[in-house]
Amino acid sequence: MNTKLYLIEDDLSILAFLKQALELRTDWELIGHSSTCEDAQNYAALHQADVYLIDLGLPDGRGEDLIRLLRRTNPHAELLVFTVFGEESRLMEALESGATGYVLKGCTGQELVSAIEQILSGGAPISALLARMMLKKFQPMTKQVQTVHAQAETDRGDVLSDREMDVLKLVAQGYLNKEIAGKLGISLHTVGSHVKNLYLKLSVHTKVQVVRAAQERGLV
Amino acid sequence: MGVGLLLGVLLVLLALVSRPSHFQNGWVLDHAEIQALESQTQTRLTPKVVALPHVWDAEAQPLHGSLRYRLPWPADTRSLNAANGVHEGLALLITRVGARFQVRLDGHIIHSAYWDTPGYVDTGVVPHWIPLPSDLDLSVPHVLDVEVQGVPLRKSGLGVVTVAQASEVLERYERIYWWQVYLTWMVAACSGMLGLLSGLIWWVGRERLFACMSVASFAWMVRLALTSVVHPQFPFEVWFFFHKLSFTVYCGFLYLFLWELFRLQQHKARALVWWLLWISPLWIALILWTGNYDAYRIWTGLFAVISVGSLGLMMHRAQWGLDPNQRLMVVVSLVTLITGVRDFLVVQFGVLGDADLRWMTPGSLVFMLTLSLVLVQRMSRYVAQIRKLNSDLTIKVQDRERELLVAFEQIKEAEKQKTLIGERARLTRDMHDGLGSQLVQTLNAVRSGVQVPMPHIEQMLGHALEELRMTLDSMELMEGDLPTILGTLRRRISPALDAAGVELLWAVDDVPPLLDAQGKPLEAKAVMQIFRCLQEVFANVIKHAHASSVQVETRHRAEGVVLSITDNGQGMRRVQREGGRGLDNIRLRAQSIAARVEWLSVGSGTQVKFVFAQHAGHAAQPVSASGSEQIDSGKDTT
Repeated sequence: MNTKLYLIEDDLSILAFLKQALELRTDWELIGHSSTCEDAQNYAALHQADVYLIDLGLPDGRGEDLIRLLRRTNPHAELLVFTVFGEESRLMEALESGATGYVLKGCTGQELVSAIEQILSGGAPISALLARMMLKKFQPMTKQVQTVHAQAETDRGDVLSDREMDVLKLVAQGYLNKEIAGKLGISLHTVGSHVKNLYLKLSVHTKVQVVRAAQERGLV
Repeated sequence: MGVGLLLGVLLVLLALVSRPSHFQNGWVLDHAEIQALESQTQTRLTPKVVALPHVWDAEAQPLHGSLRYRLPWPADTRSLNAANGVHEGLALLITRVGARFQVRLDGHIIHSAYWDTPGYVDTGVVPHWIPLPSDLDLSVPHVLDVEVQGVPLRKSGLGVVTVAQASEVLERYERIYWWQVYLTWMVAACSGMLGLLSGLIWWVGRERLFACMSVASFAWMVRLALTSVVHPQFPFEVWFFFHKLSFTVYCGFLYLFLWELFRLQQHKARALVWWLLWISPLWIALILWTGNYDAYRIWTGLFAVISVGSLGLMMHRAQWGLDPNQRLMVVVSLVTLITGVRDFLVVQFGVLGDADLRWMTPGSLVFMLTLSLVLVQRMSRYVAQIRKLNSDLTIKVQDRERELLVAFEQIKEAEKQKTLIGERARLTRDMHDGLGSQLVQTLNAVRSGVQVPMPHIEQMLGHALEELRMTLDSMELMEGDLPTILGTLRRRISPALDAAGVELLWAVDDVPPLLDAQGKPLEAKAVMQIFRCLQEVFANVIKHAHASSVQVETRHRAEGVVLSITDNGQGMRRVQREGGRGLDNIRLRAQSIAARVEWLSVGSGTQVKFVFAQHAGHAAQPVSASGSEQIDSGKDTT
């Protein structure tokens, strides 16, 4: 089955670049393009793409809001942030909103295709700083694993397993996926799966945190 | 004025109570014949008639031992008997007798008070009511004897004896007993309470005034408690010592209190009081040792003189009439002084009055209550002042807080601006050195007219983009986490190393966060310096070292966090020769972030070692170069 892609990007040169890159994978198809938030809100979800490439800096709104929307409407789609600089603090927010990975603009067509392939095969890119931020985010929750509520928290899916924690720590120390696989005695694919899983948990964790904060304030 | 009037009423009341008794059917026996008791030793005493009250210590040759007082039987008791047929019975009222005594009527003992009780006894501290037999035949005269055992220094002897109808005498006796005994205990209890309260206030406020008041009150309580005990359970010497000493302490500390209260600096008078307080124990011991009653009189007289003198001084210094409290205290002191002088005259010189109905007891109560009133007023005034001060202070603090908040906001804004300006300058510099020069190189290459291959231009633009990304990376919040800093840099340098065929061996472990000179985690500027240093190091590896691998390693050592980059290239000297200026840049950048850098020869290759001090204000200590050759990178040795 063909992989359907949808681009949300106001820079038309990126559209051209994507089209050129897709020549490397003729089985992939660009099924739509939005250059504004409004357009994306109206059409992107309807297209039921497998992969959405989303620019965070759209002229009429924030890409993070679109990610949140698409995560709700297209829960099984891969939402890739398409960014120039890969600023981790902003990526973090996108991941918390439900993004499953990111690709840096300025990469070659081959690199773009590889990144999408990695995502589709269950992996995900990650940087040391991003890993560190995630560690910080998860650490207070992980400490509670010792408590009686630990099982419930794990079941809910927003607490890291020991293996995921090991992967995250090694990424934060600058190790590459293949080095991590060697150190932990697991396959490269497993490392990628762990990273992708981490992104999903980050999103769940963030939602849980929001609900908890609301409960603490008596809002729900 | 009102207080003065009240005090006047009190004095009149005391005078009335203390007035010698006049009974409708009674007789006051004011003389007696004394004779030494045969069974007791008494120095050659010739029987003689003495006036009552008779005080043994007042004799030219003080008496001691036991005496018998033979009182004249009233001549006209016969008429009492004749008039009424059956009389209701007579009784004796003796206001003072002691230290022990017994009464004989016609040779038979009709009353005995502690006559054979061992230890110290003084019956003189309470009045005595002794009923005569109800069947006594009043138509004939009887022989009435009061036998007395004395104690030196206790004013032993016999006061006036009243013979009257038993009911009349009882009424009089009860009134005297109330004033003399119950009132004394009440005043003692009040003094104790006052002492306790003053002590507590002193404990909280540490104001000397209250300490003086507390000591004086407790001393007065002890004094009064000892005064009314007929049979204390300790020797006379102990009783006498503490009875007199407590009075000394009471007077002394009361004067000190008054001077503190009025803030009077009477150094000489104070010195005199302190001298009295110190000398009194010795003086009392001397009185006990010699048994000389005159010495005791001198001591009490001295206090009377000091009291009068102090009061006079106080009136003079307090500028009479200015302060209502001072006026009040002076009036009350004057009344108390009158009670004291009256007691002195009555007790020591037998001036008219019931010798043992001390005016000073109620006088002291009034005095102390007045003192309490003044203290309460003073405290109330302080509390009011403190409340006002607190209120003023709260307003001032709020004002100051507002001012500080505004100032703080201004400072914060200024700091923010300063930081922004600094950061902008740094970014401009970085972009100028990195991105700017890269773009200029690319532009020049394109404009040069020489055909530049597209991959070359792509590579140059890629470098420019990487430069920009590295600048942005440095601005991320890394909190001095060296592994993350290195991991972030790795993304940037890996492609270049791969392209050069240099294998990157990663041996990075968790190390404590890197701190700046203030002990805070490294900021973006410092992170950028590390990036630049490492960029330079890796550039040297790629361009000059001709290495096939390079290892990045972090360790935590006693001297700090150590970062080493070790290649297996052709050694340091070659690198120095080819990249000398770059090494200086690395050293300068390291210095700017309080890190130290060393170049070492390891095997055939080179190791660049950075040492980051872990504590604020501490420069990194030199790294041991054991097992390797340390290279002076500052000089080109080739």
